Formats: sequence, structure tokens, C-alpha cells
Amino acid sequence: MTKKDLESIKEKHNGTDRNWIKVGFSTCGIAAGAKEVYETLIEEKRKHNADVEIKKCGCVGICSAEPLVEVHIKNMPTVFYGKVDKEVATKIMEKHVCGKMLVNDRIYDLKLN
Amino acid sequence: MGKTVFIKDTAIAGKDKTRDFYGVFLGILREKGLENEVQLVRVADVGVYGQGMVVRVLPENFLYTNVQESDIPAIVLESVVGGKPVPGKSSTQPSRQLRIVLRNCGVIDPESIEDYIARDGYQALAKVLGGYTPEKVIQEMKASGLRGRGGAGFPTGTKWEITRKAQGDQKYMICNGDEGDPGAYMDRSVLESDPHSVIEGMIIGAYAIGASKGYFYIRAEYPLAIERIEKAILQCRERGILGEGILGSSFNLDLEIRLGAGAFVCGEETALIASIEGKRGYPSPRPPFPSIKGLWGKPTCINNVETLANIPVILMKGGAWFSGIGNESSKGTKVFAVTGKVKNSGLVEVPMGTVIEDIVYGICGGAMSGKSVKAIQTGGPSGGVIPKEFFQTKVDYESLQKMGSIMGSGGMIVMDEDDCMVDIAKFYLGFCVDESCGKCAPCRIGGTQMLRILKKITNGEGTQKDLGQLEQISFAMQKASLCGLGQTAPNPVLSTFHYYRAEYDAHVDQKKCPACKCAKLIRFLILQDKCLKCGTCFKSCPVNAISGNRESGYLIDQTKCIRCGQCFEVCKPRAISRS
Repeated sequence: MTKKDLESIKEKHNGTDRNWIKVGFSTCGIAAGAKEVYETLIEEKRKHNADVEIKKCGCVGICSAEPLVEVHIKNMPTVFYGKVDKEVATKIMEKHVCGKMLVNDRIYDLKLN
Repeated sequence: MGKTVFIKDTAIAGKDKTRDFYGVFLGILREKGLENEVQLVRVADVGVYGQGMVVRVLPENFLYTNVQESDIPAIVLESVVGGKPVPGKSSTQPSRQLRIVLRNCGVIDPESIEDYIARDGYQALAKVLGGYTPEKVIQEMKASGLRGRGGAGFPTGTKWEITRKAQGDQKYMICNGDEGDPGAYMDRSVLESDPHSVIEGMIIGAYAIGASKGYFYIRAEYPLAIERIEKAILQCRERGILGEGILGSSFNLDLEIRLGAGAFVCGEETALIASIEGKRGYPSPRPPFPSIKGLWGKPTCINNVETLANIPVILMKGGAWFSGIGNESSKGTKVFAVTGKVKNSGLVEVPMGTVIEDIVYGICGGAMSGKSVKAIQTGGPSGGVIPKEFFQTKVDYESLQKMGSIMGSGGMIVMDEDDCMVDIAKFYLGFCVDESCGKCAPCRIGGTQMLRILKKITNGEGTQKDLGQLEQISFAMQKASLCGLGQTAPNPVLSTFHYYRAEYDAHVDQKKCPACKCAKLIRFLILQDKCLKCGTCFKSCPVNAISGNRESGYLIDQTKCIRCGQCFEVCKPRAISRS
């Protein structure tokens, strides 16, 4: 691999703005139940045939609110949902991803501090 | 993008009024026929604390604090419809965190090297291998002013330079991931969430010092971190980022993982080296320092995980850029793991020189459940406490040292009014006694004796003479111990002694624990005039020390009571006194 290859991977990766959901998969998240949340999201995505990519990521640092799920949907604010369980994960897929409506009471708006 | 409005009641005391406010706000939106165009959302945390009702209007990010119902029409008219802030009402939220080490944590998939490359990963390495001499890398590091993040704060550039200049046919680079301070987990998080940045830092370091072999020393209690580093190393080998001729250059390096078996002292560099060599994890006297004579007698550079994660960014943006962050003596940022009795526990990364108050209250939201913060403890078992009165202290190596604590690896434990300082000192000392390797007498015997005295004090059997003895042993340990563990083990005792002498005196003279924590010194009593005879305490007592019934009331048998405080916690009318 050379510097050129690095550039081309970067370009390919940062191409288009897509919808995504990231689930925090570090020790803190997994201990709090991230695995169940991830599986629920995958299952719900299939059910709704939703246009969204579900990814795993590391720990963003808001450990008291794990499991954390970050949701980015085009033309909507990108938000963190905290203390997500199976029920909230279902709601995120139904309301936020498919209905384009944010879910009440679970957003941790901590990006700016 | 449509408008979004976040609301949250951030008042510390009283009932959460977010729902009522939501109703009123929605009513006003309906009146104006905006309910379908604007999304009104109740959020769980808005990032601002103790400022009444908070409203945030997106996408412009107008923030309003202490909002009254009468303010809503103006906010709707000006900000929601007009896209402008309400004159004189809108406030700004200071952005306190700055993420350099944690830049990719929670952003990328740690198991995907492509994700890392897409965020400028390995660009710094390509830049270095493509045109920097090792001397130039060291120069850049020295210009950055980066100091070791493991706790001691030794300038990284200087360490690299010494290792570079040391004579040896083989040199080694080691990443110290043996994080062991109670309550600290920054390194684990970085290893788990962004393994490639640590690897990139290691490769650059190895290039600078002239090493062709490197080791990750990670404690075995971090299985996920080990798994992800393993995966990352494999990915690098496959792509020619590790191995022979890295990125098409003539530089070779291979990395291996060594697991720590859980001894705290193995975080000390000479003990760590012994452990990698397969020997017992005993520290040895320095000098010779590892930079001259380290692993298998060869020059070795040991850097902490967080230090290494800084390096790719420094070389991308330049040492001068990095030294512009922070204050005079301490450059860059520091990651803290804020835990204990704090509202939002977690990782924060702030520029050096940020005041403690901003971290504890501004970012982490202050104490949990409305109690008041008493102090923080930094630096783990080698550190000390900083009382609330001194929360204007800046976090940097020198300022914390002046306060009798240390920066340490970045653990910050918040304590509230229920924490007894003697008990805290006993806890940390107990940790050091457990973890003492036993090689040198001051640490082995001194620690045990200090712990014995502290136990005596918390049992109500201490005397003023004991306090004097505590101090005496502390100084002896500081002077005569072989390694950092023993030299710093008395710090929690000395620092609590300095700031909370009154608490020690109360334990010794009046046989009382002011924080009502030390079990032997407190008693629980049922106040018969306040008792509602509900029987909740009776049911909660784990040792059946409460007798009575719903007619005659209840009594605590002091001989049976183990002072666990269960009854005190469950009693709604607060009819149980603790003294």
C-alpha cells in the first residue's frame, strides 16, 4: 500500500451522504445491552425495508447513557439516543428512520459540550 | 432542513416539568398552525445544567435558558418562524471539550481500517516516511511540548531523543496499556474505539527512535481491547502498513501483543519490561533508565496509549499547532474518565488548563440526585483529593501537583457529602497494600502499618498519637520506597490529612464520622414521633435487627444492627436518624 492507495480509499469512503445508524460497541456499550439493540435494529430494518446502514462504532464517552445509538438521516438533525433498549430501538426505526420524526425523551444532546 | 425544537427542564431540585412545558409549547405551535412543520422534542439531556427550562432551536442552534411560558411566543415568532435569535434572550453554550485523542472514538468502526483511513488515518505516517528524517520527527515532537499522559509527564520528544541517541544494535518501542488506577478507563476506550491511531503513533515513534520491533503491553482484563488491537495489527500487515518496507519505504517494524496478568505495579516501566521478558513483575532501581538499557538490555521507549494516540495528529498538523493548545507548561488536551457520584459519568477531553469546575459542573452536570459535591480525587492511588473550594484549579501537571494531587493517568472520581475522607484514604491505601509487590520494605511494611492505623481510626479506636505516626510513616515511604508505587502510596492519606484534618480529629477525639460512613461510628435510631409505622424498614433489614409491628411501632436492636443503612434509605418520612 502507498500514499496513493490511502487517498483513493479515503475518497471512495467519503463519497456520498447516506443514512446511517451507529451503535456504540465498546465494553461499556456491550455491558449495557448494545448487542440486543443492534440485533433489534437489524431486524426492524429488514421488516421496514428501510434505507439506512447500521454500523458499529466505539465509545463516544457518554458512558452513563449507554447503550448509545447515533442516528443520521438526511435532512434531519444527527442525534444520540441514550439508554436505548429493544423498545426504543424499535421506535427509532419506526418513527425516526421511517416516519422522519424524532423520538421523545431519549435524546442526549451532548455533542456540543 | 425543517425546524426542530428541543426542550428539557434542567432545574436540579423539584419535579421535572418538561412534559407540562411541552404541552404549552405545542399548544402555541398549534395556534399558529405550525405543528406539522416544526418538530417539538422532549430530550433526556440538553447539555446544559441547572438553568431551568432550556429550549434549543435547530438547525441554527439558538439556545434559551431559564425559559418562562411567557417567553414562548417570542421564541416561536423570532427563532422558529424568523430564523433569528430573540434579542437579549439567546445564550451561547461554551464548547468546553476539544477532541484530539478521542477524535475517532464513537465515530469510526474500530474493526475497519478503511474507516480509519477515511478519517485521515495513516496520512501522518505516509508524510513522515515520505520525507521526514527521524531527527525531524523528534524535533517536531519537541516543538509540540507533548508530555507523557501516563502520569509522570515526561516530555515525549526528549524521551525519543534519548532513545534515538542511545547505543544499541536493536531498539524497542513499547505501548503501555496496563491501565490500573481505580476508576480510570481512558486507555481501554481508546484501544477499543480507535486502535489504529495507537498503532500509527507507535510506528512513527519506532521510526523516530530507530526500533524494528514493538510490543503492546495490555492487561488481560481488557479482552475486547486485545481483540481489536489484534485485528488491527493483522489488517496493517495485510496492507503493508506493518512488516517490511512500510508504505513503500525502507522502514521495517513488527508489533506484538503481550498480556499483563493483572498486577498494578506492571504499569511501572521497569516492572513492565521484566514482565515482557517473562520474569516476575518486579520494578528495579533507575537509572539506568529504559531509554538506555531496557527490554533485554536494549534501548527501549515506553509510551502510554493516550500519548501515542496524540502523535498522528501532531505530525499531521505540526508541533506548533499542538503547542498552541493548553497553557504554559502543559500542552494539548487531556482525557479524563469522570466517575463516582456525578450526573454524567464518562470520558471528557479538555484542553490543558481548563478549570475543574467546568469539567465537574459544566460538562458532567454536577452531583447525582441533588446532593452537593464535596471533592474530587485525581491520579488514582498515587494522587490526592481536591476539595470543592479549590475547583477553580486548572488541570495541568503543575497546578494539580501544587494542590497536593497529581494529573495521573486521568481518573477523576467525584465524591459527595456522603463520602468520608478517612474511608477514602483507607480505600486507596488498601489498594496499594494489595498491589505492593513486596520487594522493598518501606512499601511492604509501611503500607500495611498505615492501613492498620487507618482501620483503627475508622473503628473508633484511634488516638492523636496514631495521626502523628501516620504522617511519619508516610514521609518514610515517600523517601525510601523503590518505585513510584510505594513513593506515592501515602499521597491520598497526606492529601486528605491536609484538607480534612477536622474529619480525622472527629474520628479520633469524638469517635464520630461526620459523613456518617464509618459503620463502627454511627448508629441508626427510629424517631418515634415521626414514624408512620409503615413497616418498610422492618422488611428491608437484612439481619432482622428491627422488631415490632404496625400497631406498636418499631425498634432497632443496636446489638444486631450491622449499620448498612438500608432502613435509612427506604424510610420515606425520614423517621430514621443517622448519627
